[in-house]
Amino acid sequence: MKNRTERGPAIVIIIILIYLLIPLVVSIVYSMFSNWTGIVPQGFTLQTYVNLFQDKTFLASIGRTIVIAIIPIVITILLVLLALFVTVVYFPKLEKYVQIICMIPYTIQGVILSVSILALYVSNPTFLSNRVIMLIGAYCIIILPYIYQGIRNGMRAVNMPVLLEAAEMLGASRIYAFFRVIVPNIISAIVVSSLLAVGIIFGDYVLVRNLASSAWPNVQIYLYQAMKSDSMKSSAVFVVIMAVTFLIAAIVLYLQSRERKGKKH
Amino acid sequence: MSYIKFENIYKNFGSNEVLKDINLEIEQGQLVTLLGPSGCGKSTLLRCLAGLETVTSGKVYLDGKDITNVDPKNRGIGMVFQQYSLFPNMTVLQNVMFGLSMKKVDKKIAEEKSKEILEIVGLGDKLKQYPAQLSGGQQQRAALARAIVTEPKVLLLDEPLSAIDALLRHSLQVEIRRIQRDLGITAIFVTHDQEEAMVMSDMIHLMYQGRIEQSAAPTDLYTKPRTSFVASFIGHYNLFDAATMKKLTGEDVECDNVAFRPEIIRMSKSPIEQEDSFMMKGKINVSLPHGNIIRYAVMCGDIQVDVDELFGQSELFESDDEVYMAVKKSECIFL
Repeated sequence: MKNRTERGPAIVIIIILIYLLIPLVVSIVYSMFSNWTGIVPQGFTLQTYVNLFQDKTFLASIGRTIVIAIIPIVITILLVLLALFVTVVYFPKLEKYVQIICMIPYTIQGVILSVSILALYVSNPTFLSNRVIMLIGAYCIIILPYIYQGIRNGMRAVNMPVLLEAAEMLGASRIYAFFRVIVPNIISAIVVSSLLAVGIIFGDYVLVRNLASSAWPNVQIYLYQAMKSDSMKSSAVFVVIMAVTFLIAAIVLYLQSRERKGKKH
Repeated sequence: MSYIKFENIYKNFGSNEVLKDINLEIEQGQLVTLLGPSGCGKSTLLRCLAGLETVTSGKVYLDGKDITNVDPKNRGIGMVFQQYSLFPNMTVLQNVMFGLSMKKVDKKIAEEKSKEILEIVGLGDKLKQYPAQLSGGQQQRAALARAIVTEPKVLLLDEPLSAIDALLRHSLQVEIRRIQRDLGITAIFVTHDQEEAMVMSDMIHLMYQGRIEQSAAPTDLYTKPRTSFVASFIGHYNLFDAATMKKLTGEDVECDNVAFRPEIIRMSKSPIEQEDSFMMKGKINVSLPHGNIIRYAVMCGDIQVDVDELFGQSELFESDDEVYMAVKKSECIFL
């Protein structure tokens, strides 16, 4: 069986890779050549990137994007962990309702969500009417299903009731046991769902445009404005966004693999 | 005064009555077994002592104190679970030290003590390993070490060996028994395996349908079953009601059931002369070698009698051989 060379799967993989990489490669090429009217691009230059990284507005927008990704993810993870702790340990019957509630945001369109939030909070000023806080709230809602499902699946993989009981018999309180014994075992699930959430937030334009385009101009807003003026620059911005996303994923996965390697000794 | 005492324990899950009026006393330093078929309530009873289940009514005493409503973490009870329950994110040593750190024992002392216990259970060279790197037997030994390192008042073992293969299981039975004796721990062992119960226990409490059916030392339980359930659960008894006995032997008996063990039956191809015995005649149906014994299923009409013969000690029988059987009445149990 193994000696038989199968061309089919290899071809499929190559096609998929081309399909996935073409937009990225084209963007990279486009951002680095000043003239691409024929088949071969001409006029190689990195000036766009140099300009970009000298532009404080751009760097600030990248920083804002990272901050606005991290805060909702941390909030949502904590919320989901606590909710799941309470339901799994004390009210297992309520779990299906928690699941339904957490799944609802799947069905909500960004436009509808942002307009609803504006309608609800802007006319009636409280601290929740702060644009940035509204944006954080909106992102918490959007990423909830992904974080919930990821963590829930991770919990199913460990035998949570028995581990909690074992810890309890050894003198630990349930909440301590949960964070000391259960959470470390589902770290990889948490990491994967966080990365997914990073992807979603980095890709969002609708929410940030409607809720906080002037209060919190992040890199998507910057990209949109660049597109209007300079296509080469917008390609470069796109490439930088991709690079930052890859970098975040790489750092997190590296940290995780290092930990796992430590465990395997 | 007994060390552990269950008093009129009832436990319901919804409308399902799992424990019915359990009264049980356990002496300090003993290893007792709760034995019974699955669903008889033995694990539930153990979990009520651990505090992992609340009782519907009744009281649980440990060392003279009423612990019915005490939190599990404050009961001072160690437990080994049926499923592997080591914390996967901690090394063997960290697992064992967990209980001591909960008790705020100084880290150095905790580490020394944990190493000592791991030495006792034979895992002295596995301190730095993670549970996933251990075999099932090693994991349960580490779980045992983790449960006893805090010097609990009672050690509970909830079918800890049921997921382990037969050969290793036997050696672990002996090992657990040795450790329990050496350290003088009071232990309660739950199992559905009667041989395991026999090997390990000072005392066996056989449970059936939420009640204690019989409490006795292993040999007494084997030789003197008090009810027909005990007889059928322990030691492959042949168990017949009066009408069947009449058909089988032609004799009337003045009781509901008669039980006799397969190994006390004398069997021969020629008629047997033996006083005060039930006489039976039948035909060998199948013979099953069980290592040192051969078990014959003998059909007397449509009634099957099991007969055990020591291998090599008696004549061999083959299928369809006509045989005569005799059982001394004094060795039968009338229930």
